[in-house]
Formats: sequence, structure tokens, C-alpha cells
Amino acid sequence: MSGLANNLSFYLVVSAIMFVFGIVAALSRKNTIGIFMGVELILNAAALNFVAVKLLQTKAAASPTQDGAIFSLFIIVMAAIEAAVALAIVLRVFGVKRSIDPDGMARLRG
Amino acid sequence: MTTNISLALLIPLFPLLAYFVQVFVGKRLPRMGDWVSLGAIFLSFVAASRIFLSMFNHFDPAWVETWHFTWFDLASLKTPFKLEIGVRIDNMSSIMLFMVTLCSTLIHLFSTGYMRNHHGEPEDGYRYASFFAYLSLFTSAMLGLIISDNLFTLFMSWELMGLCSYLLIGFYRHKISAANASLKAFMTTRVGDMGLFTGMLMLFTLPLANGQALGSFRFDDIYAAIQSGQFNFTIGGFHAAAVIGLLIFCGTVGKSAQFPLQVWLPDAMEGPTPVSALIHAATMVAAGVYLILRMFPLLEVGGVLTIVAYVGAFTALFAAILAIKQNDIKKILAYSTLSQLGYMVMAVGLGAYQASFMHLITHALFKACLFMSSGAVIYAMHHEQDIRHMGGLRKKIPITFACMFIATLAISGVPMFSGFVSKDKILVAAYAFGILDHSQHFFIPLAGFLTAGLTAFYMFRLIFKTFFGEPHDHHHYEEAHEVSFNMFVPLVVLAGLSLSVLFTGSLTGGLLGEGDFILKGANNWFETLVTNASFSAGHGEAWHEHLHHAHMPGMILSLVVASIGITFSYLVFGAKKISADKLAALWPSFVHKAIDNLYFFDWFYIKILIQKVFMPFSSFCAIFDDKVIDQGAVDGVKNVTQATKDVAGILIDDVLIDGLLVDGVGGAMPSALGSTLRTLQNGRVQRYLLVAVAALVVVLIWRGF
Repeated sequence: MSGLANNLSFYLVVSAIMFVFGIVAALSRKNTIGIFMGVELILNAAALNFVAVKLLQTKAAASPTQDGAIFSLFIIVMAAIEAAVALAIVLRVFGVKRSIDPDGMARLRG
Repeated sequence: MTTNISLALLIPLFPLLAYFVQVFVGKRLPRMGDWVSLGAIFLSFVAASRIFLSMFNHFDPAWVETWHFTWFDLASLKTPFKLEIGVRIDNMSSIMLFMVTLCSTLIHLFSTGYMRNHHGEPEDGYRYASFFAYLSLFTSAMLGLIISDNLFTLFMSWELMGLCSYLLIGFYRHKISAANASLKAFMTTRVGDMGLFTGMLMLFTLPLANGQALGSFRFDDIYAAIQSGQFNFTIGGFHAAAVIGLLIFCGTVGKSAQFPLQVWLPDAMEGPTPVSALIHAATMVAAGVYLILRMFPLLEVGGVLTIVAYVGAFTALFAAILAIKQNDIKKILAYSTLSQLGYMVMAVGLGAYQASFMHLITHALFKACLFMSSGAVIYAMHHEQDIRHMGGLRKKIPITFACMFIATLAISGVPMFSGFVSKDKILVAAYAFGILDHSQHFFIPLAGFLTAGLTAFYMFRLIFKTFFGEPHDHHHYEEAHEVSFNMFVPLVVLAGLSLSVLFTGSLTGGLLGEGDFILKGANNWFETLVTNASFSAGHGEAWHEHLHHAHMPGMILSLVVASIGITFSYLVFGAKKISADKLAALWPSFVHKAIDNLYFFDWFYIKILIQKVFMPFSSFCAIFDDKVIDQGAVDGVKNVTQATKDVAGILIDDVLIDGLLVDGVGGAMPSALGSTLRTLQNGRVQRYLLVAVAALVVVLIWRGF
């Protein structure tokens, strides 16, 4: 039982770094695909938190629950669906506009 | 985890890796990466040989090594769900692994020649790489199926094989017939798989005699439950094991092309010849028989063995009859495969699972040889498949001829060759069951012996028409030449493995007593090892007693029918003393009509089942959807709503909403608010995101983390 693998804050720090990277990517990319990759990072940061908490809880508790694992499964499924839908939208937009610059997709503005 | 278990895990892994390599970078590798697939399967072969040798070191019928782990365990659910998967290595799977990896290695080697044209260039361009990718995946799935210690991973591999058979049968995708054949194979086996899957789920979830569900797919748990009598309850008046066993047997009927789902297998000949060899010898169809061998105790407890035997006997006999009239060299072999598979299933039904398994192995070896030899003939003849256009080829392609001849002797049941030993055991079991034991089941031995005679007849017809007599197509005949090194080596190896000595240590399977064992050490090793003490009686004590008495008459009868078949074939097609046309004219026209139309199975499925049953049902559903749901329910609700709207519209909408709220509250206020807020909705996604993040930061700071 090494120290790092049992330390919750280690996972939280990694997850936080992933989260911030994701936010920065989603905010700054000038490419829609890049934004989606950022969003994926954010989602996976959250999933990592769930899994980490579940893992440590399994080691500690007498009757562990599987809620963390199930939540992360849901996140993975949701991320997959999001990627599928998003890529479909990007492909259609590219077909119409020949560009996937997010700032160009403002036709529905108020 | 023992060495054998780790090796067993590696065996399907090598071809799987080769598959990924081939799919992604195959076409950029030198020689389009055929050596990747070949090398991977060879590594598997080496690993399988190691396990095979270890089996001989133990030399114990009860030898078994298992290893499993919990894949996932949802213990906190209301009904706990736990899935354990693992590896099981015993005598049966060791022999099977050795056979499959060996056949597959040789088929890969053969393909490196067959899938190239006569100038050594790959046919179909880049698809040469995909071909090897699919072969690898196919083999990997089969190997995964063999090492499975549970029905779950077995079913996964099973379905993976279904997919690969679809890809490979339809490999020549520019041909519409190949595309249709692949679809047919896929859909037909799916019908059987429905049964298998239902059976698996029932096995897993049904509360057993002790009130608890089995909750496991592992063979060990299933066997234990059977032995402690947990399946002794009824479902709808039938024995539980009978229901589940027959459902699982449906999977075999589909995969091993038994009556009545046999229609896909002859069409599967549309694939390249190495694929036919792979599907019909080592993998796909063998998987079905392997499944019922694994599930034998369930069938036995359920008392449905006799049904299984009848299905097998039907398939064996009727496929053999069809084979007589075929002219396509591959179609003849396809029907002979059907017929031999019928034998294996029949043997399981007779309780002679050792004989069934032995026939599975010997058949795989000589059928792979036959298919690849036919491939070599087709290749030498520049893709001519009709045996009426062949003849006299033995002088042109002597090595191919010798190998195919040996394999034909084996399948016809000539002593000294493997097919004799295994087929003989099946026929003896049939004789004991249907003649000595239960004379009301006389059809089973009758079908068995008739099929043996017919097999010898049509296989020698193939040999005589292809290799003897005068060439019928001089252009092709002159151009025919012996195939290259990488194509005939597999043939020679497999022909060598068709010798019975390797399986029994004797020439006749020890039927003449202890005296005729040549290899003393290998004295009946196969049967000794495969006999499983925990698989009990088959058809009971009396049957075992009769099995003993049936040895001599069974063997003599099988020899007699085989020699009648061969002699007759020689008289008709070799020496031409009897006219084949006159022989055909002896039979009434409805027999010919039935055979030409494959007993109207395809006609029945397409014209009756699909067009008269499924299509009307779908049209009925479409009409129901249109008339009742759309026009009735949806439009009805719409009409009611419209009426309500008309009334409510005047009262509420015009007076109250429009007059008071919209013009008053909604007129002045929104225009002021809207012009302010619209700047927020500027359509820039990243701006929105920034607002959200900023809000998050504000909240975090405000709440003081």
C-alpha cells in the first residue's frame, strides 16, 4: 500500500489539473473540435473524482457501495453520446459553412 | 495462475493483436503484412503445442486447470449481480486448441499463395491486408471460445465469429451472390443464437430447485448444479434441463448448420476457398459441436439426447443425398461437411460424446485438407470450379492429387485413416442404440450406415471426375500446373495427420484386439483422455453393455457400406461400366426435383416464411401504425385539441391575454429589456462558457470554498 495511491488528494489534484486544462481549452480554442476535447477533459476530471472516491471507500468501508463506479459509467456513456452528437453537428456545420470556427456559428444570435 | 493458463490467455491474444496491426497499418507493411497474421497464429500454435504436451505429461482424464476472476460485482443492487469469467484448460480444450491453431496456421500459409494471382501479386489490391485481418480475428474468436470456462465469454466469441463469417463469406463483395450469401449466413445463424441466448439467460436467472438462481455462467457451477439435482423441476410441464438444453442446442443448430437451419452453409462457399476451409474445418461449425459437448450433462439430465440424435441423423442423411448431384467441387465438400456435422451431433445424441469429439478433430483435419486441395485445384484451373470441366488432373498436379486422395480415403472411412476410427465409433454407438437397445429408433443407425455408403460414393465421384478420365476442358488442362511451395505444404501436413495411427496407436482403432497396436505408448490416448467420468451414463447401463456387443457387427457393416460405395462409384465414374445417366433415370422425377431444389428449404423460407408470414405481419404493423395510431389516436387527439382551442382562443386568448397582458405588460416592458439582454445572446459559444465559468468562480469565492 503505497502512500500516493491511497491519498485522496492526489487524485483530486490530478482531477483539478485536468479540469482546469479542460476549461482553458474550451475557452480558448478557435476550433470547435478543440472545444469538445476540452469538454471531454472536464467530464473525465469529474469521472476521475468519482472513481477515486469509490476506490478509497471500497478499501476503507466494511460494506462499500458501487455508486461511484456507476456514476462514472454514466459519465462515460454521456460523454460518448455527447461526442457523437457534437461530431455530427460539426460535420453538418462544416458541410454548410466549410469552416468549424466557433465564432462563425452565430447565426442564431439574439 | 499456472503456466498453462497464462499460455492459454496468450493464444487468442496473438491473432487479436495481429488483427489490429493488420487493420490499421496492414497495407503499408511489406507484403501487406500477411507475415504478421501468419507469425501471430504460429506463436499461438507454439503455445498450444506446449499445453498439448503438458496434457500428455499429466495423462489424466480428470486433468483440469481453471482460473477465473470477478469481472464485475454489483453487490449493492437489490438483486446482486456478479459476473465471473475465466479460462478452463482440460483435455478437450487442449486437443481443440492444438487442432485449431494447427489448421489455422496452415490455412494462413495457404492463403499467402491462394489470395495472390499467378504472378504472385495480391488480388483485390489492398483488401489482401483486410483478408488476413479478418482471418486473424476469426481465429482469435474461435480460440477465445475454446478457452472460455463460462457461457458468457463463449457467447461473445461465438458472436464475434458470426461477424467474421459475414465479413469473409462476403469478401468478394463485388459479386451480388457473395453479398447475399454472407447476409444469409449471418441472419440464419442469428435465428439459432436467439435460442442460445434465451437458454443462457434462463440458466443464469431462473430459480432452481433450491429456490436460488444459479447466477453464474461458469461450466463448473453448471455441472455442480446438475450433479446436485438442482435442475429437477419443470417449466410449463417440461423438465427444466430439457428446455434450457434444447434452447442452447438451437445455437448449435444454427452455427453447425443442422436441420432445419442448414441453408446457409452451402451458400457460404461464395467466400474464398481458404475461408471455406477455416469455417468448415477448424472454427465456426466446430464451435457448435463444441458447445453441445460442453453442455452434454445438461442435455443428458434433460433427457433430450434422442431429439439431438434425430436432428443429427436427418442432417447427415439428407445432406449426403444432396452431395451426389452437385457439380461444383466446393459445393460437394460443403454438403459433405453438413453430413459429417450431422454425424457429430448424432453421436452427441447417442451419448457417445468421445466419438463425437474425435470425429470433430479428425474431420477438421481431413476436411481442411480436402478444402485446400480443392482450392489448389481451382487455383490451378484458373478459378474453374465445375468438376464436369475437369478430368485427368492427376498427371498435372500429382501432389495435390495425392493429398486429396488420402483425405478422401479418410472421409470415406477406409481403415488405416483417421475418419475410419472416429466414424466407426459413431456407427457402433448408433448400432448399439438403434438396433440392440431401442429398436423403435432404427432410423438412426439406418441413416448412419446409409450416409457412410453415400459419403464414400460421392467423394470418390469427386475424385474420379476431377483427377481421372479424359480432360474435358483442354485449354484449362494444358495450363494447369502444380501449386507453389507455400500452398502444397499445408496439404501434405494435413494429409499426414489423416492417419489413424496418430489417434489410436493402431490401424483399426484397436477393434481387432490388443495385438494391432503399433504405437504401444499411444494406445487409444484420445478416447482415454476425453472420457469424462463426471459425464455419466449416456443412455444407461444397457446401452453400455450393448456398445460392447456392437463393436464387431458395427465395424463390419461400416466397412461393407464404405466398400460398396467406393466400388459403385468406381463402376459408375471410374470404369464407366454403369451409365450415370441411366442410374439417375432410375429415380422418379420428384426425387430429382426435391434434390435440385434442396428439399425446398430455401423456397419455404423465402416464399412462405418471409413473404407469407413475416412480410404480411410487417405490413399489418405498418397499416396498424398508420390507421389506428396515426389517424385514429394522434389525429383524434388533435381534433379535440383544435376544438378546444377554437373556443378557448376567443375567450382567453383574444380578450385576456392579447388585450391585457400582451399589449400592456408585454408591449412596453420586453422591448426595453430585450434590447438590453440581446447583447448577451451573441451566439458565441465560448462567451457563454466564459460567463458560466465566471459565475462558478464567483459562487466559489462567495461561498468561501
